[in-house]
Amino acid sequence: MRMCSSQKRTKRNERSIFLIVLAFAVLLLGSYASAQIYLPKAPPEPSAYGRVILQSHVATSPGPVVFDHWLHRSKFTCRLCHVDVGFAMKANATGISASTNREGFHCGACHDGKRVIEGRAVFASCSGDAASNKQCARCHSTDKKSGRKYEYNAFTAKLPAADYGVNWEAAEKSGVIRPVDFLDGLSVKKARIQNREDFSIKAAVSWVKPITFSHEKHSIWNGCELCHPEIFPTAKKGELSFSMYSNVHGRRCGACHGKVASPLNNCQKCHPRGPEWAEN
Amino acid sequence: MNGRRLVPLVFILLFFCCQTLSQTGTKKARPLPYEYGRVVINNFSNKADLAPVVFEHWLHRSKYTCRVCHVDIGFAMKTGATGINAADNARGYYCGTCHNGKMVSDGKPIFEACSRKATFDDRKRCERCHSYGKKVAGEYDFFRFSAPLPKERFGNGLDWEKSEELGLIHPVAFLEGVSVQRKSLSAQKDFALDPKLEGMPEIIFSHKKHTVWNGCELCHPEIFMGVKKGSRKYTMVDISEGRSCGACHTTVAFPLTDCQRCHSKPV
Amino acid sequence: MLKRENIAVVLVLVGLAVPCNMRAASSPPSSTTEAVEGWQKEFEDVCSKTQDAMILSIDELTALVQKCDTLMPQIEKLDETRKKVYMGRLRMCRGLYAYVLESKKNEKK
Repeated sequence: MRMCSSQKRTKRNERSIFLIVLAFAVLLLGSYASAQIYLPKAPPEPSAYGRVILQSHVATSPGPVVFDHWLHRSKFTCRLCHVDVGFAMKANATGISASTNREGFHCGACHDGKRVIEGRAVFASCSGDAASNKQCARCHSTDKKSGRKYEYNAFTAKLPAADYGVNWEAAEKSGVIRPVDFLDGLSVKKARIQNREDFSIKAAVSWVKPITFSHEKHSIWNGCELCHPEIFPTAKKGELSFSMYSNVHGRRCGACHGKVASPLNNCQKCHPRGPEWAEN
Repeated sequence: MNGRRLVPLVFILLFFCCQTLSQTGTKKARPLPYEYGRVVINNFSNKADLAPVVFEHWLHRSKYTCRVCHVDIGFAMKTGATGINAADNARGYYCGTCHNGKMVSDGKPIFEACSRKATFDDRKRCERCHSYGKKVAGEYDFFRFSAPLPKERFGNGLDWEKSEELGLIHPVAFLEGVSVQRKSLSAQKDFALDPKLEGMPEIIFSHKKHTVWNGCELCHPEIFMGVKKGSRKYTMVDISEGRSCGACHTTVAFPLTDCQRCHSKPV
Repeated sequence: MLKRENIAVVLVLVGLAVPCNMRAASSPPSSTTEAVEGWQKEFEDVCSKTQDAMILSIDELTALVQKCDTLMPQIEKLDETRKKVYMGRLRMCRGLYAYVLESKKNEKK
C-alpha cells in the first residue's frame, strides 16, 4: 500500500519512540536486576567514619558543623539522640538552627551549659555572638587546632579494636564505655517490650548466606522506636523485601549500617562466612 | 507499533521507577514539640497574595474537642481537603465559626478571619494565620502555655489526657448554634486487640478515652469501616501510612514511636 | 457568539449578585437568633442521636438513614458554603447510622 509522506513520518516517529522506550526499559530492568547484588564501596578512614557535615545555615553560621559520631556514641545510646532528642538519620534533614539549640532542642538538649554529663556541665551551643565566641569552633570546625577538644586516635586508643575501627559491642561488654540511655527532663521511662528471638533473613540471591538478625543486640542501643515503624514498618517477618541497593542508599539496614554503625563492605559481619564467590 | 501497545510498557516503566525512587526506610526528624500537629494550608492563599495558613493543633486542642472541629464544624482530617476559602470564613463557617470577632474565648473575643471589609491595614491580622515563612509571634507562646501541663514523650511532649483529668485544660465539646445537642454516650467497654507479632504486648483499646474527644462519627465509618470486631486487620504499615489509627496517631495525637502507649497489656 | 457587550452584562450581573448573597448569608443560621430553616431543624433532630446509635433498634436506625437520605436533596440546593459544610456533616451522621445498622444486622445473623 502506498503511504503518503505524513503517514511515513508518523510511522517513523512511532518507531523511534518505541525504540527509545524499549532502550529505557532495558536499562531500568537491568539496573533493577543488578540492584539485587549491589556491592558497597570501601569506607573512609576510621577517624572520618560516621562524620556528618551540617550546612543548612552555612551562610549565617561560623561555618558548617562537623559532627563525628565516634565521640557521642561512646557516651550515649543511638536511641537517646535519634528518638528522645529527635535527630533525623540524614544530614541536614533535622532542621537544627541556632535558635532551636538555644530553645533547648536538638544539640541544645544537652549543650545548654547546665546539663551535667560525666561530672561536668556540657558547654552551651550557639550561646552568644559568633564573632567573640571561641566555643563556636568546638563544633563549627574540623580539627583540634581550631578548637576541638577530643582527638580520634587519642580517644580510641583504650577501646578494643575491630577489623575496621572500634569494636563498640566489645567496648560496652567490657565496661570501657557505658552509653547513657536516659536524660532527665527529656526521656520517659517505659515498660520494656520483650525482644523477639534471633531469626534468619534470606539474601536476595542464592549464593549469599542468610543473615542471622539479633533483636537483642540492636535494641540495647536502639530500643524499638528507632527502627519501628519508620525504618521497618512491618511487624511480620518476610512482609518487607529489600536488597543491598536499599542498604547502600541509606534505607532499611542502611539507615545505620554503612555510614555510622559499621561499614557494609564487611560482608561477614552480617552474612556469616561471606558470599561464596568471594572466598577464592 | 501503536499507542495501545505503548501504554502497558509505560506502566511497567513507571512501576520500576517507583521501586527505585521509593523513599521509605529512613528515619526522618522528629518534629519539635511546638511543630507537631502543624498543618500548612495553601489551597487559595497564594492566589490571594497571602502566605499559606499555618494551623497549630496544640492550641486549639487545648480549648476544643476534636469532634467540635472535625464533626460539628466539618473540617476534613487531611490537609487541604476541606477547601476552606475566605468567603466561607467570612460567612461564619469553618474558621469563621469562631473567628468572627464575637465569639469569646479566654475572656476575649476571637479575632475575625478573612473579613470581607479587610483593608491593607488589616494585614497584620491576616498574618496571624497566613504566616508561613514569616516570623510572626503568636499570641500564645508554646513554652509558657505548656509549662504547667504534665509531660509525656514524643508528639507535643504533653500528656493531654492527664491535663484534662487534672483540670488544667477544659476542651469545649459544644458550640451554641453549631453543635447538635446530643445526649451523653452510652458506656463502652475497653477491649484488647491482638497484634500480629508474637511477643508484642496486646493493644488495649479504650473506646471511652477516644469518644470523650471524638464522639462516634469522627471514626465510624470513614476511618474504621469494619462492622465486626476483628473483621479487618490493620497492619503497622497501614497505620504508619495514615490509615486506621494512623489518621490521628501519626500527625496530631501521640505518634507511633510511643509503642507502649497502645501495646500496653502486661505480658 | 460571545460579544463584548454580552460578557460585560454577565459580569455586572455576577458582580451585583455576589454582595447580595453575602448580605443574605453573613452569619450561620442559629437556632437561638434567626428563624431556623425547616431542613436545619430536621438535621439537628436526626443527627442528635449519634451518641445513642449503639442502643437504637434496627428499625430506628433504618428510619434515621432514610431521613438523612431525604435531607440530602434539600442540602444540595443550598448556597455553596452551606452545602459544603452540611453535606459533610450529613455524610458523617448518615455514615454512622448505616455503619451501626450493618453491624447490628451482622450480629443478628
